[in-house]
Amino acid sequence: MTGWFSKTIRIFSWACGMAFTSIIFFFIGYLLYRGAGSLSLKLIFENTGVIDAVLLRKQVLGGLFPAIAGTIILVLLSVGIAVPIGVAAGIHMAEYARGRWKEALGFFFDILASVPSIVIGLFGLSLSVYLHRTFFPKLYPSLIISALSLAVLVLPYIIRSTQYALESIPESTRIIAPALGASRLQNILYVLIPRASSGILGGIVLAVGRCAEDTAVIMLTGAVAFAGVSRSLFSGYEALPFYIYYISSQYADPAELAEGYAASLILLAICAVFFGVSFIIQKGVESRALYGP
Amino acid sequence: MDNKLKISINDLHFSYKDKSVLSGASLRIMENTINAIVGPSGIGKSTFLTTLNRLWDTTSAEMTGKIEIFFHGVPQDIYDPRFPETTLRRKVGMVFQAPNPLPMSIFRNVAFPLKLAGKTSRGETEESVEKALRQAFLWDEVKDRLHKDALLLSGGQQQRLCIARALVLAPEVLLLDEPTSSLDEKAGAVIEELLVELKKNCTMVIVSHYLAQVDRIADTVHELVGGKFVTGRR
Amino acid sequence: MKALTEKSVVAVFRGSAFLSAGAAALILGFLLVFGLPLFREGRIFSLVTTMWAPAEGRYGILPMLAGTAAIASLGVVLSIPLSFGAAALISVFAPRRWGRFFRAVFLMATGIPTVIYGFVGIFLLAPFVREFFDAGSGLCVLSAALMLAVLVTPTMTIFFVHGFDRTPRSYLQAVDALGGNDVQKLLYVILPGAWRHIIGGITLAAGRAQGDTLLALMLSGNAARIPGEPLESARTLTAHIALVFAADHESPEFLSIFVCGLMLYLFSTLTVVVLRRLEAPFRRQHR
Repeated sequence: MTGWFSKTIRIFSWACGMAFTSIIFFFIGYLLYRGAGSLSLKLIFENTGVIDAVLLRKQVLGGLFPAIAGTIILVLLSVGIAVPIGVAAGIHMAEYARGRWKEALGFFFDILASVPSIVIGLFGLSLSVYLHRTFFPKLYPSLIISALSLAVLVLPYIIRSTQYALESIPESTRIIAPALGASRLQNILYVLIPRASSGILGGIVLAVGRCAEDTAVIMLTGAVAFAGVSRSLFSGYEALPFYIYYISSQYADPAELAEGYAASLILLAICAVFFGVSFIIQKGVESRALYGP
Repeated sequence: MDNKLKISINDLHFSYKDKSVLSGASLRIMENTINAIVGPSGIGKSTFLTTLNRLWDTTSAEMTGKIEIFFHGVPQDIYDPRFPETTLRRKVGMVFQAPNPLPMSIFRNVAFPLKLAGKTSRGETEESVEKALRQAFLWDEVKDRLHKDALLLSGGQQQRLCIARALVLAPEVLLLDEPTSSLDEKAGAVIEELLVELKKNCTMVIVSHYLAQVDRIADTVHELVGGKFVTGRR
Repeated sequence: MKALTEKSVVAVFRGSAFLSAGAAALILGFLLVFGLPLFREGRIFSLVTTMWAPAEGRYGILPMLAGTAAIASLGVVLSIPLSFGAAALISVFAPRRWGRFFRAVFLMATGIPTVIYGFVGIFLLAPFVREFFDAGSGLCVLSAALMLAVLVTPTMTIFFVHGFDRTPRSYLQAVDALGGNDVQKLLYVILPGAWRHIIGGITLAAGRAQGDTLLALMLSGNAARIPGEPLESARTLTAHIALVFAADHESPEFLSIFVCGLMLYLFSTLTVVVLRRLEAPFRRQHR
């Protein structure tokens, strides 16, 4: 192989890596440049006192606080729904399901993981329309519908990370407790789950990040541009990613646009924190890249 | 030595993924003796041990034959479907090749089988743990740091901890799979000594590679040849 | 008593697994039930083969199918060489430290919210495309596809890297022993051995690209007609759902989004089938 050919390939390869890296850093730098200046407490809380706002003593009408609070509430609700079901299903996959059943269940989880989030949003929307027509005439797209839909969205991550964390425990560890008279369930609860906890936790943290960033699901299931901090599960709510989307198409003046940049920075920071945490908890963060949004 | 039968193994056939390990193996093991299982590596000695507490992998292996253990003098077919394997494993303890303490304190490691068995009275637990640690020659070394992480102990201490953990439910049979092979000579000697002491309470089946060790401690030697046992000297 | 609690806990595990799998089926079920009026009238075939012209009472989603095909395929095609180059760099060419750095950057990039890519795209990329190509608003197939390439490149790269890293050390040593260099290693040993991961990475990226909503919605201009060239505006299936979902629930516009949903579900299932085929030998190895 001639020298220039090898050299070209190497240069191309370095160029690809460098180009992509600079694009990403350029994006982040651009957001910092445009957004950092306008980032302030006033931007978040408008004219309401910080303590009053956080304790929900006063309604914050402007500012980013309602969107930030909405995102946090939404994440807590969806992850609260998805974690128990997902972890239990993951345990079933790793410790009980065998053969054809395991294959079939895995196939469904793969589909669930790959269905576009807008389709899951559409599912949430039609669920609320259906319930509205049949059992609950007062039900409209709302916080609870979004939380349910997002729970469906992140279920496969939690299931798979639980399953893989359990399956990677070596046989020599698996037999310790049974040799001491443990039942299968005791072995799972006392030895295997604690041993797999970092992997399971890593999956949960990634699910949190997914819930915080998703826009397509919530725009169909109840997110609105202005609602204040929502006080009920059955009302519309504000959320950061939807706010960013809304600003990008509907901003009226430079001040609103600046809010959009600031909101992007805050969302980026929130996701970076969760991503970093899961990075530390488990090196297997790469599974997200493969399973991801 | 009173010659009471403890374990009776009759015409055992065992195959793992179509590979025959035992074919027509029979063996009689007497109470309060140390029985060494010897033979070249990879011939299935460890697998044989797991047939005595049903710890083998039922999804990829098959077994026929009959194993009876006399618990308090009463024979029990240990593969009787009405006889739960958890009960069996509480009466037949096992110690593995490499020490395998769980990532918890010394005390909680030894108390773990009691928790599994649903015995939770605090005083009783403390009493049993101390007794087991004394039996395993470990009490004096750890009594001041019972609540420290078990993984901080030396290899020999960890293995004795695992023996204590296996003894805490007062099993009648103890299975040992090359228990000193991962330890240095000195640590191994302590364990040999304690096994001889344990004969008062337990019947032991030990897999060992060291013929010198077998000579020192075993009452009976069974060699595994072509899937059957040939019982040797002493 | 104890055995009973154990049994019920195990039943809860099983129930959760089936409930989760049921969710995947339920999504399909809802799409079908809501799209039912269209099936009854047998209009589903004509809907996917005709144009979108609500004023004339035509609600075909052919332009959206074309929009999705154009934007997703252009995005994936743009990201393939980039991902190959980057994966070769991380896995083969870069010194250990740099390899780890680039790997971290690509992993981090998978964690950036899509809406932020879209936001940056509107205010940074679209003006650039507008100036550079002198193309109207700059909201067009090319803008969406370029940003989509940025979105799927890290995923594809990491998938490739996994494949490259599986190459047995002995093969690499054999090339070294024969006096081969790193480029020859890559071309003659690593790439041929990683073909499953290469197809897998591309399939995964294609699945991700066709399912993306935000970038297309924010950057493609959303005109419901078949794009003739990259600088024209287009609308994807996903963007169509996001644009029309607020319409009257009895209207044909509203019904058309369930056809879009069905199409997207179908494509996703297809990618899953392909990926599982490719993975099958590895999975058997593990069990």
